[in-house]
Amino acid sequence: MQATTELEPTVRIRELTKDKVNFVLENVDLAFANSFRRVMMADLPTVAIDMVEIEVNTTVLPDEYIAHRLGMIPLLSSNCDEAIRYTRDCTCLAGCPFCSITLMLHVSCNDNNTMDVTSNHLEVLPFPEDQDIQADPGEELSKRGEYFGHPVGKNDPNAEPVLICKIRKGQELKVKCTVKKGIAKEHAKWSPCSAVAFEYDPYNKLRHTSYWYETDVRQEWPLGDNAKEEEAPRDDEPFDYLAKPTKFYLDVETDGSLSPQEVVMKGLAELQQKLANLIYGLKQGPELENQQQANGTGAEPSWNISSTAPAPAPIPPTSAWSGGASSQWGNTSPGQRSTSNAGWGASPQAGAWSSGATAGWSSPGQQSNGWNV
Amino acid sequence: MNAPNRYELYVLEDGEKPVEVIEDTKIPNAATIKILKQDHTLGNMLRAQLLAMPQILFAGYKVPHPLHPYFLIKIQTDGTITPQALLDQACEKLIGTLSSLEAKFKREFSYKDVEGAVGAASAAPGAGGPAGHLDVDPYGAGASAGGGAGGGQGAGAGGSGGWSQGRDYLDL
Ligand SMILES: [Zn+2]
Repeated sequence: MQATTELEPTVRIRELTKDKVNFVLENVDLAFANSFRRVMMADLPTVAIDMVEIEVNTTVLPDEYIAHRLGMIPLLSSNCDEAIRYTRDCTCLAGCPFCSITLMLHVSCNDNNTMDVTSNHLEVLPFPEDQDIQADPGEELSKRGEYFGHPVGKNDPNAEPVLICKIRKGQELKVKCTVKKGIAKEHAKWSPCSAVAFEYDPYNKLRHTSYWYETDVRQEWPLGDNAKEEEAPRDDEPFDYLAKPTKFYLDVETDGSLSPQEVVMKGLAELQQKLANLIYGLKQGPELENQQQANGTGAEPSWNISSTAPAPAPIPPTSAWSGGASSQWGNTSPGQRSTSNAGWGASPQAGAWSSGATAGWSSPGQQSNGWNV
Repeated sequence: MNAPNRYELYVLEDGEKPVEVIEDTKIPNAATIKILKQDHTLGNMLRAQLLAMPQILFAGYKVPHPLHPYFLIKIQTDGTITPQALLDQACEKLIGTLSSLEAKFKREFSYKDVEGAVGAASAAPGAGGPAGHLDVDPYGAGASAGGGAGGGQGAGAGGSGGWSQGRDYLDL
């Protein structure tokens, strides 16, 4: 353990493409690498269709089926932190240009061929020029890229669109979709990742797994490419029961809503934000209690936490990725608590070692009286 | 109708305290800290970092129930520091590790940019357009030929790649 933490962590990117980054992470804990994986999958905000008003649906698919398929379509979400608010943090009642985007789809088939209704048929509705926008001081709209909220690949002639349904002559589909910001802890459609590969110890020297086989383990479990990065164990090598994994092979594949670079960097920033909020919470906790005991009536200068005053901004991350990231989490809507980043959810369990055998708490390592130690 | 908002599982409610410290009355220098609206992502990482610190005697965490959005972390120190202060140090250390990693990622990504592998997400496919497209196309030109799993007719027609434009089994 000590050796792991004293060495500086390193990273080496082996491959970077438009929607994928493959890298090797070294000298970090298994828990650290896994948290990084989890945060990239489940804690980064994107935009996705969240409400569908069906005006006409004479296709063979039921309304719910269409609505679900629409929700799963990846939408360009670059700079989602600043470009859009959560509706729960917005000053509006049920949706406005600062916290939602409207997509329209209207397709009907008039000839004898089967027609594909695809994500390319979704049209982004321009913002209504009404009083809401002038009254709100938010700057989200200026932070959006040109194609923010558009279906991924819509503006790329080389990309295949996403098929929503097929219609024949006389059938029609007309829907109005409301796009909202969210994270994958609420619904997997908001995950920027379509897959995250995570491997360590390709030779299974640590015996974190055991292979089932018919006759010959080596033949039935061929080594993957990552094995080339490590030294094969000698046949007579004794088992080192103190050894810990230090080298992790990750492959982050996005659905196109965010670039792989953005996913990785925002993932690191989000983990730091979680820790910073915890430090803040640890410091704030006792002070809050003292204040209550002292029957504080707002006279204390050092801590002004009352039910009406806006909560102090959380500690910014010690290093920000992109310029202007300091406002990343402290949302700009007035009077709102800026604590929208706390996370919870059971979905992205670490598959390999979180077998549910132990009544609900999953962790590597030993257990002692119900605690993961 | 009366379903709670799903975000209540990961967003603190108004006035809700993110951290609760319950000091252990039977074990010296020990405390159980309840961290609300957080999960294994933070809990396991903190546990591992705490175990790597010299002042620690015990560190363990649990999520008592998967539907209850909090975790408990139990810490016992050697008495030179309080459990809360050690947890604070662990957080600081992890933030340090993360920010150094952040700098290294940034450098690695900038090298890849120079090599011309990719730009940002919105970058248009360059000279290697069609070829570059093929290796990120999950169905591929080859796959679409045999990909008409439902219909024999469609399989032949779709050979040029993409969703077939002509007649397929639905037209029968
Ligand atoms: Zn709004």
